Order: sequence, then C-alpha cells, then structure tokens
Amino acid sequence: MATETVSVSDKPESYEAAVERLEEIIDRLDSGQAGLRETLDLCKEGRELVKYCAAELDEVGEGLKELRLDDLAAKLEVGSEPS
Amino acid sequence: MDQQPAQKQVGTGLPGPYSVGRYAGKLQEWMRERARVQLIGEVTGVGRSKVQAYFELRDADGAIPCAIWLNDLERAGLTDGALRDGAEVVISGGLDYYPGGGQASPNFCFRATHVRLAGEGDLIARLEALRKQLRAEGLFELQKQLHRPRLPKAIGVVTAETGAARRDLLAGLQRRGWGGSVIWGFAPVQDRHAAPAIGRAVQDLAARPEVEAIVVTRGGGSLADLWAFCDETLCRTVAMLRVPVVSAVGHERDRTLIDDVAAVACSTPTHAAEAAVPLDCIAARESLERCAVSLRRAGEGAVGTRSRHLGALARGPARALQRERGKLNQKIREIRAASERGLAERAASQKRIGSVVLERARNRAAGADMEKRQAALRRAMVALRAHEPERTLERGYALVEGEDEEPLTSAAAAAAAGKVKLRFADGGVRATINTVGDADGDGDGERER
Repeated sequence: MATETVSVSDKPESYEAAVERLEEIIDRLDSGQAGLRETLDLCKEGRELVKYCAAELDEVGEGLKELRLDDLAAKLEVGSEPS
Repeated sequence: MDQQPAQKQVGTGLPGPYSVGRYAGKLQEWMRERARVQLIGEVTGVGRSKVQAYFELRDADGAIPCAIWLNDLERAGLTDGALRDGAEVVISGGLDYYPGGGQASPNFCFRATHVRLAGEGDLIARLEALRKQLRAEGLFELQKQLHRPRLPKAIGVVTAETGAARRDLLAGLQRRGWGGSVIWGFAPVQDRHAAPAIGRAVQDLAARPEVEAIVVTRGGGSLADLWAFCDETLCRTVAMLRVPVVSAVGHERDRTLIDDVAAVACSTPTHAAEAAVPLDCIAARESLERCAVSLRRAGEGAVGTRSRHLGALARGPARALQRERGKLNQKIREIRAASERGLAERAASQKRIGSVVLERARNRAAGADMEKRQAALRRAMVALRAHEPERTLERGYALVEGEDEEPLTSAAAAAAAGKVKLRFADGGVRATINTVGDADGDGDGERER
C-alpha cells in the first residue's frame, strides 16, 4: 500500500503536472501492487485528472483565435480613459 | 584642452572667458588628434553638396553624423547609388569639427576618408564580439531557465504581417490540433526600425498575463537582412523577459544573436510552432482517452476480481461444511460396516470359544475326571456301606425298634415301650419287656423274649 496521501480535491498546478501524476497512477495500477482501497482512490484521482486535462484540451480545441496586439492595446487605452 | 585662462571671472570659479573662435579652433585641433577608427552601421539621410557627401551612420543604439569628400568617395570605388539609405557600410576616418566663421555655421562630423559596403565578415565579426559579451554576462542562460508550459492557452508572435513565416507558423499550430489564441505583434523585420519595433512588441506581449510563450520569427535572408535580430538592445531585452521566447529567424544555417538568448532556437516557423506548443493536442486527446480506459478497467477490475474472490470465499464455508459432512458420512458408513463386521467376528469368535469350552467340558466329563469321580464314588459307597446298620446286624447285633419301627436306643425307652421289635440280620421278632435290669446287661435283670 502506498504511503503517499493524495487529495483528489487538489487542482493540478498545470496540465504537465496533471499528466505526470496521471502517468504515475497508471504505472502504479499496472504494477498490480495497489490494494483495493488504494486502487479505488487512485482511480478516483485519475478520473479527476483526466477530467481536468480534457477541460484544458477543450479550452484550446475550439479553433484558433487570432488577435492583434495593437487592437488589444487600443482597447486597453480606451478602457483606461476616464469617462 | 589646455587653454590657459585669460582671467578668472568672479563668482563662478571657472576659467575664461575665452574667444569662441580661438576655442573652436582648438577644439578642431583636439578632435583631429583623436584616433582614427572604422565604424559600421546603417546609412541614413544621404545628401550631397558640391564638395562632399553627408549622411548619418546609425544602429539601434545611436548615430553619428558623417561626411566624406567627394574625391575620397570616388576613390572608394563604390558603384553609383551604393551609398544610399539603408546600406550597411564600414567607414574609416576620425572626428572632425568645422569651426564655422563669421557667416558659416559650425559643424561636427566623423570625417570618413574611405567607405565600403559592409560584408558578411564585418557582420560576423561584430556578431561574435556581441555574442562573446552577452555570453560572458550570462544572458544566454536566463531564458533557458524559464518554465515552458506544454499547453499554453495563448501565445504571442512577433513577425512581419505579410511574411510567409506567419502562414507557416499558423499551419504548424493547426497541425498540432491547437486552437488557442495567437496574439500578433506585427513588426518590421528588416531595417534599422526593426530591432526597436521587435523589442517593443516582445515587451508588450510579455506584459499581457494571458501570454505564456512568445515566438519571434522571420524568413531567410543574408546576415545583413537578419541583422535586426542581432541587435544588442533587442537581445538584452529578450534575455530579461520572464516569458519564454522561441526564436525562428532565417534558415537553419543562420544563427542570429536572438537565437542565443532565446529559450529555444528553431530553424523554421513550423518548428517554432512545435516549441511554443510542445503538446500535440491530437495525440494528447488519444492518450487521455487511453488513460481513461485504463482507469476504468483498473477500477472495475479491482472490484470485479475482488468480488469474485469474495464470492468464492463466501461459498468456501458451505463447501467446506459439505466436504466435511461427506467425510463424516463416509466415516459413519465405515464405522457401521466395521461394527457389523466386528459383531459378526465376535459372535463367531464366541461361538468358537463356546465350542471349545463345551468340547473341553465334554472331554473333562468323559475323560480322566470321570474315572476319578467314579473311583471316589465307589470309595464313598464303601464307606457308606460300612456304616449301614445291616452290616452291624450281620455281625450279630440286633436293632430294637418300637411299634412304630423307630429305633429304641435306651433301656428306659424299651421299658417304656413295653413291646418291641428286634430286628436281626436275617429277620425280626417281637418281644415284650418284662423287667428292667441293669443297664450294663451283666445278668442282674430279667428279660422277656
């Protein structure tokens, strides 16, 4: 049984961190050494990570958006003008 | 300048005042004594008078006014029009100062005595000097220490608005299935305005919180064409940014200074797209799906396997009971069979024992014992006969009996009976007792017969 305590409610720091943890979980599960409680906890955590990663991918999956720095700067200037 | 003061002005403590013309003349002398050098830079603002050509020699960090006598320019052998705005040239000469006069304006310049177009070697030498300097300052390492997110949501791109690099970069991003935001910081990428514009663009992009990586790119060209990307100020700016910069300038063989200071240097805009978004989103989605399947299988498998195991364990006691019950029944059957077998054997054994006992008894009865007993019987009979009264009577004795044939064993009894019976061995006779004598029978009494 792994001694590491994992909180599934913690949001991953980044996509990379989530994928890295997910790979650790899959490796641990594939090893067959995890007990039932650990397996269920890892599966739960893994599902959360998959959900997080899928959401991250979805954010960049709706088509490339092109913006111009000049336009953004102009909007910023307009927005900052006193009314 | 070692002008001696004519007199000291009261109040300021400074030497002078001097005659300005004399001062200007001395200044001219002092400047002309400075070392003669070569300068490299971009020509701007070319103009000509009757006797000389003038221009500014400029780079991103500064400029200096220059002039060359026309005869010197002709000796330089430049083709017509070679000395034009934008040309990268190397000039030789030194500082000069025209003091002017009563009507003429003074003028300071770098008096070139020779001019030539800058060659690749000049630029390479200049580049190497800069490279050495920036490396020594550790500016090549700063960007490389920055974290580059594998899946940025927004990236900034500095390039020419109409260049092919823009198209190639977009195609590279789309091939990876990435659909985040691209913020374009369009800038000239080739002339003396390029480096400052690129520098402003990267700074503005880095200031935007959503931008997680910046790409600086342009297509191929000569080193002179790419020179803006070797600009010292630009490269120092890039090195100090806290957002990772991916450079893709020129072709693979070109190595500009911005490539050295950037977090990643790529050979093409397509490669820059891959470096800016390291994650192949299409492959990542497939991988994620596999992970989800693995997790589902692991979860279901863990529960399923253990459920089956538990089920087997739950059936275990019943099976064990049944197995033990079977064993018990078998034992009972064996015991019963053994018992029946034992009883039969015991009965047979007892029967055999009885037979033996009876046989022995019979043998005892019919054997030596019988003879012994018969002998004893005979001895008993002899002894018994020895005590029979008849045997006494045979020896001459008579038995006195009463009327009731009961023996009379005393004289008194006989006297009392009066009539008696005397039984002899050969028969009996009746007698009457007349008198009673001594009991010892010595003739004192009278007896009736």
